[in-house]
Amino acid sequence: MDTIFTQLGWLVPLFPLAAFLILTAMGRGNRTLAAWIGTLASLGSFALSVLIWTERLGSDALDYSDGFRWLSAGPLQLTLGFEITNLTSLMLLVVTAVSVLVNLYSAGYMKDDERATVFFGYVALFAFSMLGLVLADNLLGLYVFWELVGVCSFLLVGFWYTKPSARAAAKKAFIVTRIGDAGLLLGIILLYWQMPSHTLDFASIQNVFQGQGGAIEAGMTTLIALLIFVGAAGKSGQFPLHVWLPDAMEGPTPISALIHAATMVAAGVFLIARTFDIFEASQAAMDTVAYIGGFTAIFAATIAVAQQDMKRILAYSTVSQLGYMMMALGLGSLTGGIFHLVTHAFFKALLFLGAGSVIHAVHTQDIRQMGGIWRRMRVTSVTFGIGALALSGIPPFSGFWSKDAILHTAFQEKPLLFALGLAAAFLTAFYMSRLFFSVFTGKARGNLGHVKESPWTMTLPLAVLTVPAVLSGLIETPWNNTLGHWLSGGTETTHTGGGLVMVASAAVGVLGIYIGWLAYAKGTINRETITARVPGLVRLLGEGYYVDRLYNAVFVQGVRGIGRVFAIIDDHIVGGAVRLVGGAALLLGRGGTRLHNGQVQTYGLITLFGLLVLLVSIAGRGWW
Amino acid sequence: MLEELPILSLITFSPLLGLLVLLFLPKQRSRWLKITAIAATFIPLALSLWLYADYSSRSPEDAAAYGESVTWVDVALNKETVGDVASYSFKLAYQMDIDGVSLPLMLLTTIVAAMAALASVHIKKRWKAFYFWFLLLEVGMLGVFMARDLFLFFIFFELTLVPMFFLIGIWGFFGREKAASRFLIYNGLGSAIMLVAFLLLTVTAGFHQVETGSGEGVRLEYSGSYEVLQESFSNPDSYINQGAPESGGDTAMTTAQNPFYLSEAMRWTIFLLLLIAFGIKLPIAPFHTWMLRVHAEAPPSIVMIHSGVLLKMGAYGLMRFGLFLFPAQAGEAAVAIAVLGAVNVLYGAILAMVQKDLKLVLAYSSISHMGIVLLGLASLNEIGLEGAVVQMVSHGLISALLFLIVGSLQERTDTTELAQLGGLARSMPFMSGVLLAAGMASLGLPGLSGFIGEFLSLLGLFDTQPVIVAVAVLGVVLAAVYVLRAVLAITYGPMPEKFAALRDARLVEAVPMIVLLAMIVLVGIYPSILTDPMAHGFDALIHMLPGGEAS
Repeated sequence: MDTIFTQLGWLVPLFPLAAFLILTAMGRGNRTLAAWIGTLASLGSFALSVLIWTERLGSDALDYSDGFRWLSAGPLQLTLGFEITNLTSLMLLVVTAVSVLVNLYSAGYMKDDERATVFFGYVALFAFSMLGLVLADNLLGLYVFWELVGVCSFLLVGFWYTKPSARAAAKKAFIVTRIGDAGLLLGIILLYWQMPSHTLDFASIQNVFQGQGGAIEAGMTTLIALLIFVGAAGKSGQFPLHVWLPDAMEGPTPISALIHAATMVAAGVFLIARTFDIFEASQAAMDTVAYIGGFTAIFAATIAVAQQDMKRILAYSTVSQLGYMMMALGLGSLTGGIFHLVTHAFFKALLFLGAGSVIHAVHTQDIRQMGGIWRRMRVTSVTFGIGALALSGIPPFSGFWSKDAILHTAFQEKPLLFALGLAAAFLTAFYMSRLFFSVFTGKARGNLGHVKESPWTMTLPLAVLTVPAVLSGLIETPWNNTLGHWLSGGTETTHTGGGLVMVASAAVGVLGIYIGWLAYAKGTINRETITARVPGLVRLLGEGYYVDRLYNAVFVQGVRGIGRVFAIIDDHIVGGAVRLVGGAALLLGRGGTRLHNGQVQTYGLITLFGLLVLLVSIAGRGWW
Repeated sequence: MLEELPILSLITFSPLLGLLVLLFLPKQRSRWLKITAIAATFIPLALSLWLYADYSSRSPEDAAAYGESVTWVDVALNKETVGDVASYSFKLAYQMDIDGVSLPLMLLTTIVAAMAALASVHIKKRWKAFYFWFLLLEVGMLGVFMARDLFLFFIFFELTLVPMFFLIGIWGFFGREKAASRFLIYNGLGSAIMLVAFLLLTVTAGFHQVETGSGEGVRLEYSGSYEVLQESFSNPDSYINQGAPESGGDTAMTTAQNPFYLSEAMRWTIFLLLLIAFGIKLPIAPFHTWMLRVHAEAPPSIVMIHSGVLLKMGAYGLMRFGLFLFPAQAGEAAVAIAVLGAVNVLYGAILAMVQKDLKLVLAYSSISHMGIVLLGLASLNEIGLEGAVVQMVSHGLISALLFLIVGSLQERTDTTELAQLGGLARSMPFMSGVLLAAGMASLGLPGLSGFIGEFLSLLGLFDTQPVIVAVAVLGVVLAAVYVLRAVLAITYGPMPEKFAALRDARLVEAVPMIVLLAMIVLVGIYPSILTDPMAHGFDALIHMLPGGEAS
């Protein structure tokens, strides 16, 4: 098998890096040119990623890695390098594909923004960092890029920086994910000392943890895995660190599609997949991942039902779908997790870009002020509908197959999680049909006279994304284990739970859409009477179970309170002691001045005192 | 050719050249005075870069070629009256040397000093006196990192105090005089303690027998030489290691109690004295209050030097004299030092979160970051110690950059109160961008220098103190909180109307910003540039540690 392009894998992130440097040097210059630079650079990365991927299609493709010495301190020798495996080549493909389309889309979406050049610069920096994260051959290298994507996310969420809400959201996104990152950093440090060879590259990690050779004791393995999971949970918006993701919707919508739906938020899933051997070595860690994931899936889905902001619905939906992926990994199905990651990347990017197209046209995100958009935006409506069907898990769209793969595993491993997953699938279909019918059908509720279809730069990416949103599920079906065999080297199969699971999962999807249709399009079900009967529940869900308020009261105010107490201590007790010492010195000085009174007797007394001190210290010599 | 020159002395004293020129310039010619002084700081910068290039191109085996040693004070002590036959003398040497620890810090000093000289264009009065003290200060700082004799070190150390006192007291802000006197009292106290420790060291570990030709009789010497001290501590036959009377070995000592013997208790006393003396400078909480005032009241370009270099002298002294001379004590005190470090990290970070003034946010963040240096030192392994040095250099660069921006900011807005600022990214995109980048470096973003120091320090310490590291990692989160809170309050959000007309950085401001940021990025993406010269720098220490051979 040829590996020419594989060996050039390090070039993939360098296209966007070059673009970033050029765009930064341009300042706020030529905005059209900036869009082309961004798009072309991502196209370059995409082309190379496709070439690399084709080299790996054969069953005999070996993992390839290369790097250079980066950091050495005593026994610590770390390299910065890249590694191409089937998993990383697949991720490269997904990231670069979405990246190309989002760049193209942004050319239209950001056309009138005076800082569009800066925007494309940040997007290019993000693409570089994300590709670096995917390619990294060791855990510390991954961590470096892991933090960099976090910063890019921060910069882009706060892109419209004069808005106080954007500032707050950017800050929150960074700090909440940093809590997870601190856990990950600790996990990396612990892993370094636990590894017999004191290395951090994935190949060695695999060797040590794979056959469970007992090189590392069980408790330590669990601890390492859990610390890594803390990092993954922060990035991938898992409960209880999910709070930043809905707020991150303050950023421009193409960013929500690229970073907060398709790529960066999936990095947590990718991280666990990359260190899967550590997790597989600890059942406790696996269970934690599975239950947190399952809980997040249903938890976020219920919140999504009660949101009024188009982007926040999709954001909670993302949290929920990431929960599915985590659940799959926790249940031991690497293929299920990655499969859903891939399909979700496409259809959720499609949904966000579609939402952006709508928002771009109607200038509001509140679904209560939309309606009837179908008549004015045909392309957007159709493509959004396809995305919604894929997310709702309707066969034969891609989301059905990947969600089904996860439900099959859950059905066989943990019935409770199967039930949760099925309930979340129902809710997913319901909130998506609520969203779709509220926005696109019925009467226009706001003033939509000015609304017209978006330019081709925006609709073309939508059209292109429908292809994988429909078809990408076919790479792994009950009759075709291509993806599972390719990822796991021919051992893992999915969709093993029998036909009943498939029927159930399709049925709840259809049911969810049907109820949504009844309530939001046909009007058979009267929403007002239902919501009026349970106002508390509506508010509870609308407020996301008050998690934000709780955190604010406990952590934000708590830390602030501790800070104030410390400030008082610092000022009065520490500073007071200092002033006391200063005062004492002053007194001593004054006293000393008084002693210089010209009386020989006083001097004699002082001399005597000095002699005493000397004698005592000589006597004290014995102690020394 | 470099080793034929007294390169270390040239670097140390080259700022005096500019000082000499300054003296002949009329004091109202501010432009000429500024240009001269700035040029004067570029000489040691160029020389130190040359030295760095030469040093790192050599193998570690022949790196010792730069040392200089000249006898400075050599007093014969007449002890014949007490019936002693040997000849005694007291010797102080002008001894300079460089190694993997000194070199990065010396480079840091020359870079920060040159950038601070550029940043001093904001100084509005008495330029001649200002630059006079400024250049003298640089001599002191450079000397500290290269001196290899206790008293030479002490003199250079003191040489930084006096100029700082005047620089704060004359050119500072409203509370400058109080800040200056607080600075002097505290540091004077630290110096006094240090002097006591040094004297104790000289009369015990510094006492040694000099090799003489045959027939000359025994020559004994009190010396402050670092080499002699190290030799005495590591040689089991030296006087300080000869225990009580019964075990005395030397002929002159058999009958009397060996007065040079360093008991456990005495070693601990000296070690603790050094810890306090350098702890004040570092500063270790609760000895930090003096530096808050300096941060707030001194002119920003002087804070660049203060926060960038002067605080590092504390950490450097602790490492060179505390850890390297007393490895056994350091080993036993490692837990305590690590705890102090963690306290510094968290205490500084929590207080930085509630400050209302940018300068105080940065002051407390310095406390937090110097805590990481302590953590690295407490590790007592190569990873952590290199981390501590990288952290010193990194924090030096970052805080210099931050205070450079503070200076330019205050020049324009007349305030550093967070509540009064906002939205400056609109009128000053370049400076806001640099501020954000510096903030990111400060909170330890990978790819920038702060991460390397932090990671290595934590990684090193984790081997022996995992729990303390786990606690200190909280500082990573808190750093994000206080940095973003301060930086975003200034650059993001709505902009007050009065700031609409502010102009972005001028060339003379932009150049040092770019240089410092470039250094931060360079260390961040290619840390070997710092760690490679450091390799082997700690070998001697590691071998002296109990159980240190293992790694």
